[in-house]
Amino acid sequence: MVISPDLITGAISFLFTLLILSYVVGDNPLFRIGTYIFVGVAAGFVAAVVWWQVLWPRLVYPLISGSVPMIEKGVLLVPLLGVLLLFMKISPRLTGMGRVVMAFLVGVGAAVTIAGALTGTLLPQVFGTINAFDMAALRGKDAGFFIEAITNGAVILAGTVFTLSYFHFGARPKADGSMRRLGLIEISAWVGRVFIGITLGAVFAGVYAAALTALIERLSSLINFIGNFL
Amino acid sequence: MADVIQCPVCNENNSPEQEFCQFCQSRLKPATDSSKGAIEGFAPGQAPTQKVTADLEPILPEWLREARSSARNAADDDIAQAAQQPSQESSQSSSPPDLLAGLQAHSGNDDEEDTPDWLASITGSAPTSKKTQADSSEVRWVELGGAKDFAQEESAAENETPSWLANLTSSEAPSAEKDELTDWMREASGMNPQPSQPPVQLEPAASDTPDWLRQMAIDSGEQKAGESFNDAADNFNTTPAASDTPDWLRQMAADSDAQNSGVSFNEPPAASDSPDWLRKMAADSDAHNDNSLFNEAGNTSNVPPAASDTPDWLRSMGTQDQAQSADSADFSETGFGESDAAAGSSAGESPDWLKELVPETSPSTLSSDDDWLKGLQAEKTEQPAQADVLADADIELPSWLSGAPAAASVVPAQKDEPAAPAEGDIELDDIPSWLKAAAPHSSIYGEIPENKTPEPAQPPDASPDWLNTFKSIDTSQAPAFAMEEPVDTAPPAFVPDSQTGENMDALFTDMPDWLTGSTDVPPALSPAPTPIINSDVLAAGELPAWVQAMRPVDTGLSQLSSTLLSSDQTLESRGALAGLQGVLPAAPGYAPTSKPKAYSIKLQASDEQQTHAALLEQILAAEAEPVPIASYSALRTSRGLRWALAFLFIAAITTMLAMRTQIFTMPVGNTLEINGALQVVGSIPESAPVLVAFDYEPARVGEMEAAAAPLFDQMLLLRHPRLTFISTNETGAILAERFIAGPLAGHGYESGIRYLNLGYLPGGQMGIHAFAQNPAVTAPYAFAQSSNLLNTTLTPAWTLPPLEGVTSLSQFAALILITDNADSARAWIEQTTSARNSIPFVVISSAQAAPMIQPYYASQQITGLVSGLYGGAVYEQNNAGRPGTARTYWDAYSLGMLLAMVLILGGGLWNLALGLRDRATAREAK
Repeated sequence: MVISPDLITGAISFLFTLLILSYVVGDNPLFRIGTYIFVGVAAGFVAAVVWWQVLWPRLVYPLISGSVPMIEKGVLLVPLLGVLLLFMKISPRLTGMGRVVMAFLVGVGAAVTIAGALTGTLLPQVFGTINAFDMAALRGKDAGFFIEAITNGAVILAGTVFTLSYFHFGARPKADGSMRRLGLIEISAWVGRVFIGITLGAVFAGVYAAALTALIERLSSLINFIGNFL
Repeated sequence: MADVIQCPVCNENNSPEQEFCQFCQSRLKPATDSSKGAIEGFAPGQAPTQKVTADLEPILPEWLREARSSARNAADDDIAQAAQQPSQESSQSSSPPDLLAGLQAHSGNDDEEDTPDWLASITGSAPTSKKTQADSSEVRWVELGGAKDFAQEESAAENETPSWLANLTSSEAPSAEKDELTDWMREASGMNPQPSQPPVQLEPAASDTPDWLRQMAIDSGEQKAGESFNDAADNFNTTPAASDTPDWLRQMAADSDAQNSGVSFNEPPAASDSPDWLRKMAADSDAHNDNSLFNEAGNTSNVPPAASDTPDWLRSMGTQDQAQSADSADFSETGFGESDAAAGSSAGESPDWLKELVPETSPSTLSSDDDWLKGLQAEKTEQPAQADVLADADIELPSWLSGAPAAASVVPAQKDEPAAPAEGDIELDDIPSWLKAAAPHSSIYGEIPENKTPEPAQPPDASPDWLNTFKSIDTSQAPAFAMEEPVDTAPPAFVPDSQTGENMDALFTDMPDWLTGSTDVPPALSPAPTPIINSDVLAAGELPAWVQAMRPVDTGLSQLSSTLLSSDQTLESRGALAGLQGVLPAAPGYAPTSKPKAYSIKLQASDEQQTHAALLEQILAAEAEPVPIASYSALRTSRGLRWALAFLFIAAITTMLAMRTQIFTMPVGNTLEINGALQVVGSIPESAPVLVAFDYEPARVGEMEAAAAPLFDQMLLLRHPRLTFISTNETGAILAERFIAGPLAGHGYESGIRYLNLGYLPGGQMGIHAFAQNPAVTAPYAFAQSSNLLNTTLTPAWTLPPLEGVTSLSQFAALILITDNADSARAWIEQTTSARNSIPFVVISSAQAAPMIQPYYASQQITGLVSGLYGGAVYEQNNAGRPGTARTYWDAYSLGMLLAMVLILGGGLWNLALGLRDRATAREAK
């Protein structure tokens, strides 16, 4: 009898699915075993990926390979030194030696992130909100599209303004000692809270939909696995 | 005119080399330091140097300068008379000026009547002398700064510098010069050892010697001869010159006469301004002299009329000397003047203080200049002759000066006359304050305690300070006059009130300036004691109250310690009483004498007090107890509900999946996002390279494959693109292989031919940014597809067919991102914005990340968006239902969504019902 690999993988999948679904009855050892195995396998897989796809092809192999020019090898010593310094963080006594590399990584990462956020998110989102009322873009469209676009832009604008108003926490003390925001800000914040609620509801729905889809896929796999034996 | 210097005084021209004017001997040039030092002053005993009075003009007192100016005016009037005496001009040129000469000049001026009589008397220029021509000429000499300017009756050989002083200063002083003091000394001696000098030379006009000094010498001779001074006193009162004599001096003389002649003291007190103590001194002096001595006063033929100007005090001084020699028995009793008498008898020629001066001079000058000393000796044997002199002379010597020696002689006589001091005390009231201060202590308070053994008289210093300066030279060794011996007793700190009762202001207002200055002579220069002045200044009765309060401290302490607290020797070391002893004694009576009484420490409280205390304790304990805070119980998940819901969902989904039902229809219509994705897929060129990024977790593989499969199926089916997979997630490469081998297995894509998996892209956003900038360098090798784990062969990716002709990100036909994370979508969108240029960017996301990725589509940063199973179902509808995965899941998905909605709404309604019930219960409870 030859056991098909799909059967093995299907059995493992079925088993671990049940282990995870056991969490329905609460935290139990089956769930913990399933999670531990997943974590361990994932960590091992990540290590293998890093070795085979990062260190070996991009650091070790160029250094030991004779086909790589010496200049490139010399350049590769810099990341090698960085790796060694990062290993120093294992020892609390030598952890200071890895701070330079960490500083370099954090600095470069922050710079890239800020620059990307500015040019890829902030400014385009501002322009996108403004362009929602671009009449030139709506020229030649029918009235329904125009109304839809204007409404969509108005909702986006209102949602942006009111949501930002909700996060405006500036207030003045009243005569009774209470701290209350300005009336207009208070109303805008309230409307903004509605927008936030709708957004969170949409997110929750998306999460629920994603989770439901995953459940359906897992149940479908179980059914298919079981159906294979039926 | 530069070769000559005009004299500022006489306006005569002099050569520039000359320092003094050759005509008037005035200084032509400013005085140098050496010359200035010559006029700074002289010490006691220092012989005065010849000065030009014009140079001394600035330093003179104001009143003296006024006197000098008046004299100059008078000099103009008398210039004719001065011209008649040219013979003395050359000899007077070297006569030294003296500041006191101005006093003479002042007195000689007829216009100056402001000078008080007493001052004129002290200076020796009696008012009567102004009538004589000699005085006026003498005044002119002084005022104009040189004797040569005016005619003088005195011979040219006479030098105005005292011989004895000249001998002190210079042994080479010319004997031919004659000083002022020499004459009166000669006259006082009466011997006139120089035969060449006729008696005429002693005329007032020819003598520069002050009359009072001259008279002092005469008086000394009178006392020596034992002549009576009474007649002279009578003459003194009757002489015309006496009219200018101060009343108090005349009264003093009158008192002296009265005492000698047995006349009562009450007789003429007309001299109301005469100090009583001076009169008393004079009286005492006369009282102790033998009356017969003064009755035998001789004639005054050998005495020039100028001798009448001798002051009484000098005359009294001579009287004292006479008394000392004649009444040696009296001195022997008291011891006073014993040594002086012996010295006088032994030396018989000069006073001791003069004898002390004599050895300092050269023998040659001594032989020539000690005439006046000899004269003093001779006077002692020629009292009768000098008695006449006194009779004719204008006695200007203050009585207090003349009485000073007499007072000294009174001291031993007070044993027999106890009433005399009492009288003297009565008369003290009339003494001016300043004179009282300057008068000898013993003369004022001449009372000597009777219990004391009479000692040799220590006469108080009745002489002025300036006279003491002359005799201060080693007076302790050989005092010339016993009366001038300084008082050895220390000055009392406080004097009796009778002495200090005088007005202090009167002391300084009545005292002239020059005498005020004399009182400021340092004690070292003036041997006379000065405690009297001090006593006048600070009276015991005028002590401030706080001072008096402080004074008895010591005495009080001593008394206290000696009487009551004698046994307590505790010394206070701190506090306000530090340094005091026995102030706060530890009296023996204060110590406890018995054992302290024992008191019970048991609390004696009534029942009511104990009740209150217990109540207080309860209140305090209640404050310390924590107050429970009303808290709301957290909503806890019901296990049964959870199990029921889980069972419901699993059963429903399993049922739907197992039954493969298609109850729920697929979604109809396309959204804008899906339309964009469709347009991208439709716009991809044939076999164009498409970059696909797999950035989702394995847990989301069912959703992501269901959402992405319709798009890739359509794309592969229609465009046959060359796919290149890359992932920023470690599991992305495996998921990519699973995806291409699972839902897309029907397309027959092979790795390295139709698709290429670049594997894992490390670095997160930095890796994406680097890959967007230079993808070939960032991901140079393809993901290993070999099943051999030991195969370390690296396959260059950018030379494989999927990436053929592709060197940059913008060369891909489309960029498709499959992600379940909004941050991953944002990272790809942000970091590839500048690199991808206009290539389409489609995002296939999970349903949970769709709300965050939706704005990027609204901003047209992404071309299309397919999110979740819903997006896959829609796209599958546009792909003719291929691959059908969405349809398989759609009923279960729809049921699950429906159940969720029902449960959410049912749960909400249930909670609402519970809330209404609680409120109704609460309302009923109220």
